[in-house]
Amino acid sequence: MSTETQEKGAWSALREMPSNVWSSIFRNPLPCTDLERASTSFTNFFLHIHPVKVHKNTLRPIYTMGLGLISLFLFFILVATGILLMFYYVPSTTQAYDRMLDLRGTVAFGIFLRNMHRWSAHGMVAIVFLHMCRVFLTGAYKKPREFNWVIGVLLLLVTLFLSFTGYLLPWDQLAFWAITVGTSIAGYAPLIGKQMQFVLLGDTTVGQEALLRFYVLHVAVLPAVLVLLMAIHFWRIRKDGGLSRPQEAKGETAVVKMTLEPAKKRVYGLQGFVRGPFTKVGNVPDDSVYAWPNLLLSELFVFVLTVSLILLVALAFNAPLEEPVNVMHPPNPAKAPWYFLGLQEMVSYSAFWGGIGVPGLMVAMLVVVPYIDRGTKGVGRWFAKERLLANTIFLTLVILNVIFIIIGTFFRGPNWAFVSPF
Amino acid sequence: MPVASTDPHSHTATEEHMPRRRVLAWLTSVGLFGSAVLSAVSNLVFIKPRATYGQPARFAIGKPDDFPSGTRISLDVKRVCIVRDGGKMAAISTTCTHLGCIVGISDTGFACPCHGSRFDQDGTVTGGPAPKPLPWFELSLAPNGELEVDKGTTVAPGTYLNV
Repeated sequence: MSTETQEKGAWSALREMPSNVWSSIFRNPLPCTDLERASTSFTNFFLHIHPVKVHKNTLRPIYTMGLGLISLFLFFILVATGILLMFYYVPSTTQAYDRMLDLRGTVAFGIFLRNMHRWSAHGMVAIVFLHMCRVFLTGAYKKPREFNWVIGVLLLLVTLFLSFTGYLLPWDQLAFWAITVGTSIAGYAPLIGKQMQFVLLGDTTVGQEALLRFYVLHVAVLPAVLVLLMAIHFWRIRKDGGLSRPQEAKGETAVVKMTLEPAKKRVYGLQGFVRGPFTKVGNVPDDSVYAWPNLLLSELFVFVLTVSLILLVALAFNAPLEEPVNVMHPPNPAKAPWYFLGLQEMVSYSAFWGGIGVPGLMVAMLVVVPYIDRGTKGVGRWFAKERLLANTIFLTLVILNVIFIIIGTFFRGPNWAFVSPF
Repeated sequence: MPVASTDPHSHTATEEHMPRRRVLAWLTSVGLFGSAVLSAVSNLVFIKPRATYGQPARFAIGKPDDFPSGTRISLDVKRVCIVRDGGKMAAISTTCTHLGCIVGISDTGFACPCHGSRFDQDGTVTGGPAPKPLPWFELSLAPNGELEVDKGTTVAPGTYLNV
């Protein structure tokens, strides 16, 4: 072997360099056999997050509607456009608003990037919420996926907080009065409320310190938390046995339970430590397909669809920008973005119950639901009859929330008085 | 290394070492956990500002003659409303006790544009979600003849400064 290489000499090494470099990076040819398909999935850094094979149910568009994936792709768009916007943004009360006008006027693609960022943010809030509804209505939070549901609830909260810290940054009227109201709600939290409000604002009043703090939260702290939670979320999907599916469809990707315990006898292989059911190959009906190309093509399709939609919306509609901050006159009515209007409607009855009590109770209910609802029936199907009670309670709360949002959006006028939109 | 040894001597040797190892493990855990807690507390101390850059709690607003009798003048940047009725003066907060918006002066007193709280002339809640009346701040006459508002000190509603 070595003599052969020596014989070839430097010239042929040079000639073969392109193909050698290529094959050193991509160890597999474009897969044609099952072995190559499997090998591609677990030797490629970007693909190894996928299993080699996925259950057919996972790929049914009507089951997941790709909502989790769309959330992820919207997050990618948000990171990309957000980093670009950071090149021109200054978190200063005197400059921030002018920078928004610069994005409109002088920065190349500035308005387009801001539109993409804003609409993706709105989209992400909506899609993450719908994703939660999908997971609930298909009973996908049940054992063994309880903890991943809890991670999902945290992801929803971080998404909302990211969006909240984001729309403060233009430092327009909406920003100023939203930060005023939002941090006042935090002030109603029991015991630590006032301290929390002070730390969030960095001052006793809303001003430069608050803007800087929310900027750091928005571009560094919260994205880092979100990425960490997302990594755990995706990792758990694999470790919990892939996406949920109907029981009769239990395939060969069943959960592999491993317990580490010392073997009774002296053994020299890993199998001495691993106990429990192993993945069985070959003796069960195979309901799975290779991730390459089936899963990848579906993902590519969802990606292209998401990006195209955002591009179209960003071309068609400009992100809102209100008047520059006037600390003397709140806009009347002062309205938050649509997804917080349900909350704003509730705080107009009682600041504590609307802003802390009811939302806190709802989050607590979401977190504990997989540990209370222990039934195993009806998993993996939409609106399963066996889950009628759970689904009804959940849908009632969702609809109530939507009604509050509709009231806050369309039926509230100056001084938050009831008005008819018709 | 074999997981379970069959050698009886090494067995007893392991058992003799256990308490010491356990104490070391325990001390290490306490140390690491304690450091983590200490670090978390330090972070909180760090992000809680010691000095603030905003407006001071105590500020001068001008001479009493600047406020004619019978007027209610809202100093919006300072978030305080100066009331004068004859020789009696007072400073009422214009920060809504609900969620911190600025209340505007209305015919009957104060009204908040954010969530519809309403207050009468003395700041008592007459409607809406506000849980508390608007506080009255201490108003005093400085030696140089200027009125001073101290937003750090509240006084009972109806406490007037006679000028």
